[in-house]
Amino acid sequence: MLENLKIDISEIDKIGKFTKQEKEFRVKNLDFFNEKGLPNKKDEDWKFSDLRQIVSKNFKKLDLKIEGSKNENFELIKDFDHNHIMIVDGRLNSTNFQFEEKEKIQIKKFLNENFKNKRERNPLVHLNHALANNGYFLDVADNYKFKKVLVIYNIFTKNLNDNILNIRNKIKIGKNSELHIFEIVINRSKKNFFNNTFDTIDLEESAVLKNICINNEKSSGFFHKFRKNRLLSNARLNSFIFPSGPKFNKIDLEFNLEGKNSECYLHGASYIDQNDHQEIKTRINHLAPNCKSYQKVKKVLDSEGKGIFQGKIFVKDIAQKTDAYQLSKAILLSENSEFDSKPELEIYADDVKCSHGSTSGSIDEDSIHYLMSRGLNRKEAIKLLVNGFLNEVIETIKSNSLRKYIQEKFESGFYEYKKH
Amino acid sequence: MKNQNIDSIQEYKYGFSTDIENIKAPKGLTKKTIEFISEIKKEPKWMLEWRLKAFDRLKVSKEPNWQKPKFPKIDYQDLYYYSAPKSMKEKPKSLDDVDPKLIETYKKLGIPLNEQKRLSGVAVDAVFDSVSVATTFKDELTKKGIIFCPISEAIQKHPDLVKKYLGSVIPINDHYFATLNSAVFTDGSFVYIPPNTRCPMELSTYFRINASETGQFERTLIIADKGSYVSYLEGCTAPMRDENQLHAANVELIALDDAEIKYSTVQNWYPGDKEGKGGIYNFVTKRGACRGKNSKISWTQVETGSAITWKYPSCILQGDNSVGEFYSIAITNNYQKADTGTKMIHLGKNTKSKIISKGISAGKADNTYRGLVDIGRKASNSRNYTQCDSLLMGNKCGAHTVPYIKNKNSSSTIEHEATTSKINEDQLFYCNQRGLDQEEAVSLIVNGFCKDVLQQLPMEFAVEAQKLVGISLEGSVG
Amino acid sequence: MLEVKNLKATINSKEILKGLDIFIKPGELHAIMGPNGSGKSTLANVLSGKTGYEISGLLKYKGENLEEIPIDERAQKGIFLAFQYPTEIPGVNTSNFLKTSLNKVRKARGEKELDTLSFLKKIKVISKELGIDERMLSRQLNVGFSGGEKKKNEILQMKILEPNLIILDETDSGLDIDALKTVANGVNSSRDKKKSFLIITHYQRLLNYIKPDFVHVLANGKIVKSGSMELAEQLEKTGYREIS
Repeated sequence: MLENLKIDISEIDKIGKFTKQEKEFRVKNLDFFNEKGLPNKKDEDWKFSDLRQIVSKNFKKLDLKIEGSKNENFELIKDFDHNHIMIVDGRLNSTNFQFEEKEKIQIKKFLNENFKNKRERNPLVHLNHALANNGYFLDVADNYKFKKVLVIYNIFTKNLNDNILNIRNKIKIGKNSELHIFEIVINRSKKNFFNNTFDTIDLEESAVLKNICINNEKSSGFFHKFRKNRLLSNARLNSFIFPSGPKFNKIDLEFNLEGKNSECYLHGASYIDQNDHQEIKTRINHLAPNCKSYQKVKKVLDSEGKGIFQGKIFVKDIAQKTDAYQLSKAILLSENSEFDSKPELEIYADDVKCSHGSTSGSIDEDSIHYLMSRGLNRKEAIKLLVNGFLNEVIETIKSNSLRKYIQEKFESGFYEYKKH
Repeated sequence: MKNQNIDSIQEYKYGFSTDIENIKAPKGLTKKTIEFISEIKKEPKWMLEWRLKAFDRLKVSKEPNWQKPKFPKIDYQDLYYYSAPKSMKEKPKSLDDVDPKLIETYKKLGIPLNEQKRLSGVAVDAVFDSVSVATTFKDELTKKGIIFCPISEAIQKHPDLVKKYLGSVIPINDHYFATLNSAVFTDGSFVYIPPNTRCPMELSTYFRINASETGQFERTLIIADKGSYVSYLEGCTAPMRDENQLHAANVELIALDDAEIKYSTVQNWYPGDKEGKGGIYNFVTKRGACRGKNSKISWTQVETGSAITWKYPSCILQGDNSVGEFYSIAITNNYQKADTGTKMIHLGKNTKSKIISKGISAGKADNTYRGLVDIGRKASNSRNYTQCDSLLMGNKCGAHTVPYIKNKNSSSTIEHEATTSKINEDQLFYCNQRGLDQEEAVSLIVNGFCKDVLQQLPMEFAVEAQKLVGISLEGSVG
Repeated sequence: MLEVKNLKATINSKEILKGLDIFIKPGELHAIMGPNGSGKSTLANVLSGKTGYEISGLLKYKGENLEEIPIDERAQKGIFLAFQYPTEIPGVNTSNFLKTSLNKVRKARGEKELDTLSFLKKIKVISKELGIDERMLSRQLNVGFSGGEKKKNEILQMKILEPNLIILDETDSGLDIDALKTVANGVNSSRDKKKSFLIITHYQRLLNYIKPDFVHVLANGKIVKSGSMELAEQLEKTGYREIS
């Protein structure tokens, strides 16, 4: 049964042929995974999302091999010029960098070269190390600024059926280079599937990355993404996430501010309904002086939606002059919805400015009253306020065409809410 | 640039020990020890059975390990679980019969027990190691129907009340230290306030650990019947010793309809020396149940002592419209560690809770706020407000905030805010320019930082606590 | 009272004061005027002993070299700085703060500490004299005070502590006419043979109410011109550019 999911070593051989070193690495990691199994609520990091229970409730099996082979056609976004990477069921399908200088960009299938057998807190990382068979490595040279946005299409097809995908990606941005990425998840699958992604993002000195990620098409997908971001001095990372839609979605983001004067920003907005379960977990490690981090995560919970925010700010003793801020806000619209949070500070340097706030509750009655006194009915008033609440996050996206596109896409995901 | 007068740094001023002959239980945690305690306390059979039930449970339970401060393994078989001055074997009938050495000890601690010099408006129960030495103002309280006595006395004289409420808030199988306490608790205070009675004075217990190699396991039970009010205080000190001593208390509060309990603690157990040697392990379970509608429980704590403090005074808000409050100051210096906070469990409708926590960390100390706010499905229109502020002095210490927040009710609101910073340089400069030296300036600013909590304390203790805040941080800046 | 010769002060490797001289005798009132960024506030900070500056040159107060003396001891010796932006200290009662401060200064002067009753008496007389609402004293120190209230509070403290060298750092900026008069009143009623004043200001406005014995112009970290009241009037007409 999946409650005690154990994966046989023979599965590694089914993925492909590996060097001795890599084989050992994969086997060791599979051992680590099998030791712990799927994480459950006894693990502090999974306290609010008991994955073992969720998986065993929804899956009868988890296949590594995808059986179907139907081809599907996808249309590219026409609203704005862009480069693209297309990924189908985890596999790098096609790339197009027509707006860029080709020699500055390298993209290839991800190959792991670092075979350190380190014990991780998260068993899904071990699972990924053991079984990853797909993914890309994007390498941007020094001193190159992308001219157009790069759209990463992440497509999940009808071929999926109780499958588990293990995907390993890496993006490296060279010194003084700049890249804007827009990741979009497109779902065609009707069946359950589990997507376990591990991303590494490296920003070298003075590199800039703006990253927008939207995954709000309704799906029976169970998503887990662990993303490790590393920033060297003067690097800047600006992330936007809009992760509503999947039945289960846990986004685990780690930001390592390793170089001084580096900055990271995270903005999130989601609308969670039906019995969807979504968790955003962050860990910001302030490891060098003069760094800044900013997080603002907003959620609206409807019907039986459950939303979680776990965010930790860690400040090392040498990270003086740290400026760290974190805010999570949730609105509960229905009596069966739930919001849990655990905003955490762990601080070892004294000359710092660190704060966090977390609020949750009903929509402000005074605001409803105000809008109703201007002629809106209660439903309309609530809609307007919820839109405003979430839109505030989208408004901070600078590019007009992208912002407009996301606004429309985002609002199309308000399923239950349209019924109000 | 500045001359620091080393001599002016005050050592722990309650660090003396009293040389007195003791009766001790045999060393070790055994059935025999428990029977010994029960017998010497002249307990009825049901009480012994209750203790043994806890002891059975203890055998299968494990020490918790999720808290931040880790501690070396405690050898439970190498401890004394009961120690009392020999002179206390037969309970003294009046204060005149109490060993003068004990009276002197409390006098030195600033707690006069004689009639003439008693603190006005405060009734005191003095607990020395494992026994209650004396309780003042007893007659005056009895006239109003208020029971204020050692819990060992209440077990004999008021068994119905004890049976009904003991363990009703902290079940004997709650967690390791709570279970341990249930098995071996020795003394503590019992308070019962009858319906519609406002207790006319502050009730207070002063705990003193004296004997070495001895754990103190006190148990306090406070019941505020319908429409009553009581304000209760506890203070604690211990001698300076190289060994670590265990203090594992259980405190249970029960507030019925329209009743209010205000519970204040000034905890100043010996914190250990500057190198982190010795000091008390303060592992305490405190929990209050707002059973009745419109009831209120308010915890205030000033935690400056102990090598390790580990406690979460909590409120279970069962009654509709009940209110829970938690005001805390935790100061850690040198190698002290504190992991403290609260749990506010909202079950009833229109329940409200408020948490104000101020953590100050200096030297090489570690200070954690850990808390839970849980608003249940049925707790409509409930509210929580939490404010946690931490101050750091130097970059060898740590400050942590770990709140767990759960909201399952769409008509209820939770607000949580936390900040961490160091003492503002401009504030220090301003105070210096007005003639205050560095330590005075720090003490003044920190007291200001803690004001929201300090003003919750009853007058007599607020002044003491303010001084304690200053003293605890001496030597931490310069 | 105060002797400053070739005073240089550097912060974050930026030299702010570049060889400043000033000599103040007991009973004198000097005004230092200068444009923004000329080093006015730095001078006030350095005189009060604020840390973080690298300092060279001579700094003598009542014949004593100030170099090694920390802020609080300078205050106890009678140097008072009225802050341009008085700091808010939450949770600290204004009147308690004042009492602590006064008793520190009295102790240093070898005087007896004042008990609460005599302190309150003293404070009552002075606030009445200055026209300050006594309720201000029961509030938290500077917290939520208006700009005017903060400055009045500084003058009140100056009156109570009875210092010898009083430095007013742009105490007049941002004040309405009533508050300005309170400040001027406080200064004028304190003037005597034993006290000296150093009034740092951007505008001549305050000097219409407080008549200085000397006026200096500070520009680019140095005194570029000294004179009498006419200099201030001239500045008001021509601006700083003409002079520096």
